[in-house]
Order: sequence, then structure tokens, then C-alpha cells
Amino acid sequence: MFGSMKKTFIISLVIAAAALLSACDKVSPAGILMAGTAVEDRVKMSYKFYKDYLDEQVVLAVDKKDYSFIVGADSHLTTDPGRLDEMLAIGLNKDDLFYAHLGDLADTKPEYYFTLDSLLREAKDRYVEKHYKKINDYEYVPRENPIAEQGIPYEMITFPFFPVVGNHDITHNGWALWSNIFHSSFYEIDVLVVDPENIDIKVDHLIFLDSASGTLGKTQIDLINQGVLDGKYSDGSSIYRYTFVFSHTNIFRPQFFEFASTFTREETFFLLDQFEEWNVTGVFLGHVHTWDERDFNGVHYITMDSMCEKNNPEPGNYLIRVNVGEDGVELEPVKMNYTPKKKK
Amino acid sequence: MLAAFPARAQVYSGYRQFDGEHKHQVSAFLSGGSNVVTGFFLGQAGTYTYHFNPRWSISGGQQIQFFKQVYSLDVMGTYRIPIGKKTNVYIDGRVLFNRYQQWSVNETILNLSGYLETNYIDLRWGWSFVSYFKTNVKDSYKDYTDASYNEPLVMTFGFGVNIRPRSNPWNLGLFIRNYDQFYYENWNINWGLRFHATLTPQMKIYSEFNVRPAGSLSQLATRYETSLKVGLRYVW
Repeated sequence: MFGSMKKTFIISLVIAAAALLSACDKVSPAGILMAGTAVEDRVKMSYKFYKDYLDEQVVLAVDKKDYSFIVGADSHLTTDPGRLDEMLAIGLNKDDLFYAHLGDLADTKPEYYFTLDSLLREAKDRYVEKHYKKINDYEYVPRENPIAEQGIPYEMITFPFFPVVGNHDITHNGWALWSNIFHSSFYEIDVLVVDPENIDIKVDHLIFLDSASGTLGKTQIDLINQGVLDGKYSDGSSIYRYTFVFSHTNIFRPQFFEFASTFTREETFFLLDQFEEWNVTGVFLGHVHTWDERDFNGVHYITMDSMCEKNNPEPGNYLIRVNVGEDGVELEPVKMNYTPKKKK
Repeated sequence: MLAAFPARAQVYSGYRQFDGEHKHQVSAFLSGGSNVVTGFFLGQAGTYTYHFNPRWSISGGQQIQFFKQVYSLDVMGTYRIPIGKKTNVYIDGRVLFNRYQQWSVNETILNLSGYLETNYIDLRWGWSFVSYFKTNVKDSYKDYTDASYNEPLVMTFGFGVNIRPRSNPWNLGLFIRNYDQFYYENWNINWGLRFHATLTPQMKIYSEFNVRPAGSLSQLATRYETSLKVGLRYVW
């Protein structure tokens, strides 16, 4: 009896080991127990890049009272870039100020990232063509203000596509691919809203958090606790009008049965507290491929469905346009029409 | 550094079955470890169990985690179904209350699960209803915002295996599960090593080393918490 039990036990261990060591493009069973890409390293790289290159440079200014931005999640780009291309076109056609992508941009394979890189380069070309005017062989000026601005080279023009990293972006050590294009997954951006009529400037705050590993990790939490993302006057009041947070892992579970890790207990409560502390207007999350919208303690939380054509092949409202104005913030569902070509 | 271990039998075999003589059981442990959010933590917990008869038992416990500032109370009722000489199935119904002091959150959990105990392996499967609310909501929010959340049902699952038969005076085993004595997670799986040994006919020592990563089902399991629990069980 014990002999057969030991045999069964050994066979079970071999099967478990084989399952853990096997992998395909999208799945990495070994990652259930241990990860290949550490959030601590990602955050250190992200923060270094942010401090050295993004801190002073990426500030968006608009010469009007209202603006809008567009949010999408979980495009899981592989060989068909149709949906992501549609998102980029929608934002360009409607003059959205920027795009926010909540992670899982592409599944981890080098060729998918080559496709992604090409897609973003083409989108930047269209963006520059629409919003800038070429004044010589190298320099451009904004079409809306062609006189006052000094010419800037193409490379210095920021294409306003701001993503955070998702777990599928880096399942197979894909941070090297992701960071080669986007460099940082933990950063903040100020939006300066300039009202020339009243000579008034408002500042809105965009916070991008790396939650791809299901935790922010110690480095990111320490930086948050140190207040690197806070913006307060000496009297404790916030310098920001609206604050929006973008990250990958969802906090609230839309349905009872889903195979996706959310935050652990303590970190869930830490984040709910921190968002309230930041006086956040809206938190945008993805990861579970299911829509959820709710208020919790003065903060509006949106968990977005996947815009990936494989997950949702039929047309549908997979994007959100956020209309930001003096009187408040409104959400507008945006329909995506692209459907994948059926293989013959 | 000591840490929190479920003195109750739900996390390893060999403790649960009434021996027919000692109706009272007390188990207590010290626990400690490191957590990404709260840093170093240290605490204690204790549980009393009363066996009405070989089938029915009831227990109540408490936990105080000093640095985490987590305080817990629970009550559990159990019905045992023997299957043959060495296998039992336990049906556990439990109410657990947690106070997460530093974030002003009160959490209540109702758990109903079955626990299969064989000579070498144990399995748990069931469901939890988890509800929490903030207790420090600003007056300005109270009129228009919610500060409570009822989670969709949370599946509870666990698996353990020992190197010796359950009746052995000592044992060493491995476990993998999505809960611990005072929390129930969604798809965050913790795993580790467990040990117990008989000191006297009425007293056992037990210990557990617990690795609790985040992001398991995101396939990017990442260091979140590591803890050690050491405790004693006494029956009379």
C-alpha cells in the first residue's frame, strides 16, 4: 500500500513540476510561485528615468477651459494591431489631449513589440502632422500658436500616449521590451489648464502607478509614503484641481469567479486610503477584462473591459473619454468598431 | 522573529480529531515577519476549542498584530464526518472580524468550507463572503458616497502534504492555499513549510514558515510578506 502511495506521490510531483516549468506566449505557470521580473527594479528604473527626463519636460498646456482624454485597457496586441490603431485614431480625430493605457498593451514577444513600436511611430507622425507645422528641415511649431513658440525638433515633440505596465507585458521578462519604448511605469504628469480670457491657470494631476505584479512593491510604497507624488501647499491644501490615477491591477472585483490576482488585504486598504489622501477624482484600472464602476469614500473607481479583439471581437464601448471642465468631470463611453478579419 | 500560525487544525493535519478524552483545547502562537506595506510585524493569537462529542466542536479565537495594527476575533463551528479509519471530512462554518486600525477599516468574513483530512494529505475548499467599510469617512462625503464594499464570493482553497502519517508524533509538511487563520485572499496564494511535534501527551509544539507573495495569478508572484509562527497546543 505504501509502495503505491509513494509511486502516486512521485508521479504527482513530476506532473506538478512539468506544469510549473512549461510555458507558452501568454502563460507562465512558474510565475504563480515566483516571478522573473521584479517590481522593485522596474520602479527604480522608472523613477530614475522620471527624475532625469520626465519631471520637467512633460507638462501639457491647453489654451482653453475644457479638455478631454481617452482611456483604454488590456489591448493584448499580438499580430493584429487593429483595435489599438483605432484607439489612436479616435483620440486624434476628437483632439483628445492625451491617451492613457492601463497595461497589457502587448503579449510578451519581441515581434509584437516591433509592431507596437511601428504603430506608435505612425501615430506620432499623424499627430505631428495635425498639430504642428514644419518651419525648416528639422523644426516644428504648434499650429495653434505658430508665432510665439520657438521651433522644436521632431524628437522633442511628446506624443501624448501614457501607459502603465501590465502583467502580460512582462510575463516572460518583457520589461526590457516595454521599457525600451516607454522607459517608465511610475511617474506623474501635470496638466496646466490655461484660460487666457481670465488669465487663470489650473493644474490637474495625472499619476501612473506600476501594479503589474499585483503589488506596488516596497520601493514604490516607500516613495509614495515619502510624498513624491503629493502636491500640497504649506497649509496642507492641494495645489491640484483634479487628480486622476492610472494603473493596471483592479481593486474591486466585478464578479465572483475570475482568474486574476487583485491586491492583498493590507495593500487594498492602503491604496483606498492613499487615493482619498490624494483627493483623487478618478481611478482607472484594468486587468480583469470586465467593466465595473463605483464610488468609495469620495473617489470614483472605474475598472475597464479589455479592448482586445480576441477578448471582445464584437464592436462595443471599450474606451472611455473623460471630459474635464470647470464644472466637473464627465465620462463618455466610446465605441470601437474594429472587428478582426475572419480567417478563411 | 516569531509569527502567526493557525493553531487551529485548518492549516495542517493531525490536530482536529477529538481524541475521545480531552474535550478542551487551547492553542496559542507568537508570530512575526516582514510585509511590504506595513514593514516588520509582531503579534500573538490564541484559540480555545471545545469538543461536544466526536462530531461537533466549537472554537473562538483572537489575534493582535502590534505593528500591523490588525486585531481579530473569530468563532467557528465544526461538524466532523469520519470516512473509514484514517480519513475525515470537516464542515467548518466561521465568522471572522478584522480591524485594520491604521486604515480605519472594519472587515467581516463569513466562511463555509469543507476540509478533507487523510493520512498524508489535506484539502480545503469552500467560499467566503467578505465585507468591509471605512470608519473615518469625512462628513463632507457622507451624503453622496459609499465607503463600504461587499466583495463577490471569494473561493477558499488549500492543499497540504506531510512526510509522515498523521498519527506520527512529529511531522513536516508543505502547504499551498489562499488563506491564513485571520485572512482570506482572492487569488493570492501563500505557501510554505509546517512542522509539529509532541512534547508531552497533552502538549504539542508547532511552527509554520509562510511565504505570501502578491500577484500569483498574474503569473508574477512577487515578494509581499514572509512570516514565521511558533505555538503550543494543550489539551485537557
